[in-house]
Amino acid sequence: MSDDKVSLVIEGREVSAPTSASIIQAYSASGGQLVTNVGCMGQGVCGSCRCMVRRDGQREVSMELACETPVEAGMQVAFVSYFQPKRPHVYDLDTLTDGWQILDAIDEVFPQAKHCRHCGGCDRACPRGLDVQKGVEYAVSGDVQAAKDVFSECIMCNLCTLACPERIRPNHLGLFVRRALAALTLRPVELMRRLRQIESGQLTVDVSAVDRPEGRP
Amino acid sequence: MIPFEPALARLRAAQGDYPMRGDMPPVSELLGRFHPDSIGGQPVPLAVGVNAGMLCQPEVAARLQTNALIDDVDIAGAETLNTDILVIGGGGAGCAAALTAAAAGARVLLATKLLLGDSNTVMAEGGIQAAVGADDSPQRHFEDTYRAGHRAADKHLVAQMALDGPDAIRWLIKLGMAFDTVDDRPFGGSLRRKTPGGATAPRILSYRDFTGLEMMRVLREAVALHRGIRVMDRSPAVELLSDDRGRCVGAVLYSVEHHRFVLVRSRRTVLATGGSGRLHLNGFPTSNHYGATADGLVLAYRIGAKLREMDSFQYHPTGIAHPAHLAGGLISEAARSEGAKLVNGLGERFVEELKPRDVVASAILRECAEGRGVTRDGQTGVFLDVPSLVREKPGILEHTLISLAHLAAKCRVDPAAEPLLVYPTLHYQNGGVAIDGDGQTAVPGLLCVGEVSGGIHGRNRMMGNALLDIVSFGRRAGAKAAEAFAEPYASRAGIGHIHDWQRQLTLAGLPLDARGPQVFPPYGNFDLASDARLRSRTAQGGAR
Repeated sequence: MSDDKVSLVIEGREVSAPTSASIIQAYSASGGQLVTNVGCMGQGVCGSCRCMVRRDGQREVSMELACETPVEAGMQVAFVSYFQPKRPHVYDLDTLTDGWQILDAIDEVFPQAKHCRHCGGCDRACPRGLDVQKGVEYAVSGDVQAAKDVFSECIMCNLCTLACPERIRPNHLGLFVRRALAALTLRPVELMRRLRQIESGQLTVDVSAVDRPEGRP
Repeated sequence: MIPFEPALARLRAAQGDYPMRGDMPPVSELLGRFHPDSIGGQPVPLAVGVNAGMLCQPEVAARLQTNALIDDVDIAGAETLNTDILVIGGGGAGCAAALTAAAAGARVLLATKLLLGDSNTVMAEGGIQAAVGADDSPQRHFEDTYRAGHRAADKHLVAQMALDGPDAIRWLIKLGMAFDTVDDRPFGGSLRRKTPGGATAPRILSYRDFTGLEMMRVLREAVALHRGIRVMDRSPAVELLSDDRGRCVGAVLYSVEHHRFVLVRSRRTVLATGGSGRLHLNGFPTSNHYGATADGLVLAYRIGAKLREMDSFQYHPTGIAHPAHLAGGLISEAARSEGAKLVNGLGERFVEELKPRDVVASAILRECAEGRGVTRDGQTGVFLDVPSLVREKPGILEHTLISLAHLAAKCRVDPAAEPLLVYPTLHYQNGGVAIDGDGQTAVPGLLCVGEVSGGIHGRNRMMGNALLDIVSFGRRAGAKAAEAFAEPYASRAGIGHIHDWQRQLTLAGLPLDARGPQVFPPYGNFDLASDARLRSRTAQGGAR
């Protein structure tokens, strides 16, 4: 681990930080007010610290999570606050009871998805490196299992939604497919049996059992 | 202490076959001599409030006995909103309560400090307990939980939660949450089950090793799409509202975005603000979310709610110890549940890895205190031997321990080749606000659910019981709160209770200039008085 200090710019502030620091640690240590764009602080699962990063000498901007990205000399960083879209896709999972209707449901809730122009913006925007565009294609074509797998590790940072020129909201489409599949098909047999035992009153809990000295080992 | 290189050489030479040390003291002695609750800051009796005299962790006591952040003049003229149910906190417990209350027809306002879903829930990795196996039962779940908590829990709360387990899983599946199954057979197949430390049967259900992420993204979407729930992001609660009879009738929110206060009057208020890891008790790093600053605990105590087990905190055995800038980050108990061993600098095992968390954590602290730990770049810990696990179960990093592989990459460690250095990390607040089976507190109108509440986990929580706790009690509190939807609003709603509180502080000789709740950790560089330009505390004061 190196403690050499480097200089970079975060949210317009000149910041000096050790190379071991993440962007968010460097920003906080420099006195920057940290009341938004922050969440899990290093686990990379909440997506709140999404930011645009331009590295020294590069023209391309990349999308990163500030809690996971180490600082580099000459880096320029701007956080991306997410604003809720005015008309989000609206659906009620309870009304989706017929698995035969899944393709219609996808088209009805996410009508823009079939207009994907394959620009790859979502793929470049994803800080987790998921094949977002492929996932959209799978969902539209009805390959729901494949779509489910693509979005398995999605952290819902919404960067693909911000990037999409067709307003497809790929991460929400992926989540819709995942939710529909679980709600329609996941019926574990042991769980069903146990629920029957509990609901019929056959299984209860005896709280006095722990007061008996012998107990269960 | 043993330097990293020779310790690593010893570990590699042993090829996964380690002798077990035979000198483990009895559990009570081990905890007494090495657990941070025992050897950290000594518990102090609370000087004010309904629990005056009760022993409390000293840094938490200091927070509980603070003066309010605001006074009457600061909220004069503030916008007022009305709702049936106010839920404070946007994690799993808050979302479960909000969804259940809204499903019962109540209007719900959910306020959260950061964004909806920013919480410890989303960071939970290991899984959720529910006794579904034929070799398991709610009775066993109850007994395991009660014993792991050193018999300090409220038996009836634990029994109720254990019986709720299977229905909680069905509720989550109906909302669209996925769980790992054996043989990939969703319909009529079996859920994959893992054994948590301290359990007598495999009972952990999970989705990969990011169960909390899967749960939270489903709950968040369900809340965001529900027409009966209004979400206010970036709006921490800074005080509760009371009426002249001491009931809780809402809360004062601070809009971080607009730098102003909003008063929310409600028929019932559900506190789901989570825990306190970001207080970094006893100087420990934490696995907790940025927002875990004990705000709800402080507010609930100030308005008169009873607390319990406030001297008991959980230090998760396997936090990252090296590199220093990732210290405290969590390695899921799933790794040990799958079979990973803990090894000291002498190449020895020293504890059964699936003992309850307080035992394993204390055993690690003992190895380090007695010079058998491993030191690297000034950081101390013991080895978590992932490479041997990978040799035994090829592919486990790709399919099961995905988060672990992701974290190892950040540590610049190849987990298939090199062990991780681990040290306990502050993880969970075992105690909290005392509740009944529906989350109701001693204060009429105020309910608490999730980590802010107490009585379920006793003095030590088992893996997987936090995710069950938030769903089981979240749903019950939401349903109970919704029953009040036809009641009239209180005619008065203010912060009168803080004046009585200030008198108590003064009588006890406590300073009035220590303020709480903390809202953000100190490294957030946030000060409410200047951010809001409080009339009560700044010379110029007033609107921005």
